[in-house]
Amino acid sequence: MSYFTLTTVVELVCFLFAVICLLKDKSLVWRSMVVYLLLTCITELVGVYVINHTSPHNNQWVYNIFILLEEGFTSLMFYHLLNKYINGKPVIIIGLAIFLIFYTTNIIDHGFLVYNEHTYTEMSVVFVIYSLYFFFLLIKDERYIDIGYSAEFWWSVGTLFFYFGITSVNIFDAKLDNVMLNGHHLNFYIFRVLNLILYGCWSYSFICRKWLTTISKSSL
Amino acid sequence: MANDDIEELIVITTLVFLLAPAFLVVYIFIHNRRKRRFIEEKAQFDAELIKTQMEIQEQTMQTIGADLHDNIGQLLSLTSLTLNSIELENPDKAQQKIDAAIELNLKSIKEMRLLGRLLHGEQLLKLGLEEAIRSEVTWIEKSGRFTVVYDIDGDRPEANNADKDLILFRITQEILNNIIKHSQAKEINIKLGYLDTGIRLQIIDNGSGFNIGDLPEAQKGMGLKNIQKRAEIVGGEVFIQSTPGEGTCVDIFIPYP
Repeated sequence: MSYFTLTTVVELVCFLFAVICLLKDKSLVWRSMVVYLLLTCITELVGVYVINHTSPHNNQWVYNIFILLEEGFTSLMFYHLLNKYINGKPVIIIGLAIFLIFYTTNIIDHGFLVYNEHTYTEMSVVFVIYSLYFFFLLIKDERYIDIGYSAEFWWSVGTLFFYFGITSVNIFDAKLDNVMLNGHHLNFYIFRVLNLILYGCWSYSFICRKWLTTISKSSL
Repeated sequence: MANDDIEELIVITTLVFLLAPAFLVVYIFIHNRRKRRFIEEKAQFDAELIKTQMEIQEQTMQTIGADLHDNIGQLLSLTSLTLNSIELENPDKAQQKIDAAIELNLKSIKEMRLLGRLLHGEQLLKLGLEEAIRSEVTWIEKSGRFTVVYDIDGDRPEANNADKDLILFRITQEILNNIIKHSQAKEINIKLGYLDTGIRLQIIDNGSGFNIGDLPEAQKGMGLKNIQKRAEIVGGEVFIQSTPGEGTCVDIFIPYP
């Protein structure tokens, strides 16, 4: 199996955008996206390596570790976004508590080598709610921002599309496993499209972030 | 369920799940554009309001300047002349001149008090639009060139709108200025009506009138367009009817409060 699939390439490109645009960002939370995307790329590559070089071919435990990073970094970013309008701490803490309950229960029930599917579904639903809540606050706010160039907005758009799609895939997971299209499971294609949307939006949001930072510096 | 049916169902569901956030994003864009338009309009309104305030102040200063020069200045000069011409050897005549000087002085004091009231133009608006217009009417009548009839219909609503009062007062000033400068009118009728849905202000003069189409663009821009623009900014309408040789009627309706 090749290390360079569509998903890994898109993730690597997004990581490169993050390095170029966010490495010197004034916000620690935005800078942390560089670390998160690096860890995402490493996880994907480790996932490919493990499935090719270990027996039995099971890389699900790799993603069981990664889900912790995904929950942590994405929640951190949502905390940063929601904090612009409200005190985001209680909302995020509740989300993290629910996640930990699901995660622990699933690990106890199914073990560490089985993919933590229920936790992933719960996490996706929570992130969709966070995105919708962020959009609600954005609409409600009296101040005007040009959302076409808003890094926060595009980051949330990517996240909403991805986790909304993931939720639908998770709901029909059992059925999707039976559907084959050109020798691949249908969810293989859906995940690729969702990944493209997510990392495309995120890359654009990083460009917006860099562009806005440059503008604010030059106007000083 | 056949494999094909499942496939179709899944594809449709996935599309629906992708379309839902897409519609949401489009809605946010549309809403955001509306928000921008609203902010721009509000900024324009605020700028117009500041401009109106400045114009009212400027108008007040001009009136004060003219009054000091033409009225109070004359009265004080006359007082000075009268006092200078007193001959103490002739006590009866001197007494008459002193009385005349006292009278002139009292007139000056009265004029100064009126000026003082005018200087507090904004406070005058706080008493209500009708009072502010009444003060304008008083000044016009003082010149002796015009007969002004000022009527108020209906009851002033309990809730007022200071911004609209300001705009309407400035429009009134502008119309009256035009009448004084250009119309050669003798009579001015001002009707301020409080309706259920708004305020109607009607100003009619019996002056020379004009043909709206014949007005030079620059003149339109200074007066009529300003009046129209200001009325529109508070959601109002202006109707101007004028016949050369017969006079002009300006009818303004502004939703209130």
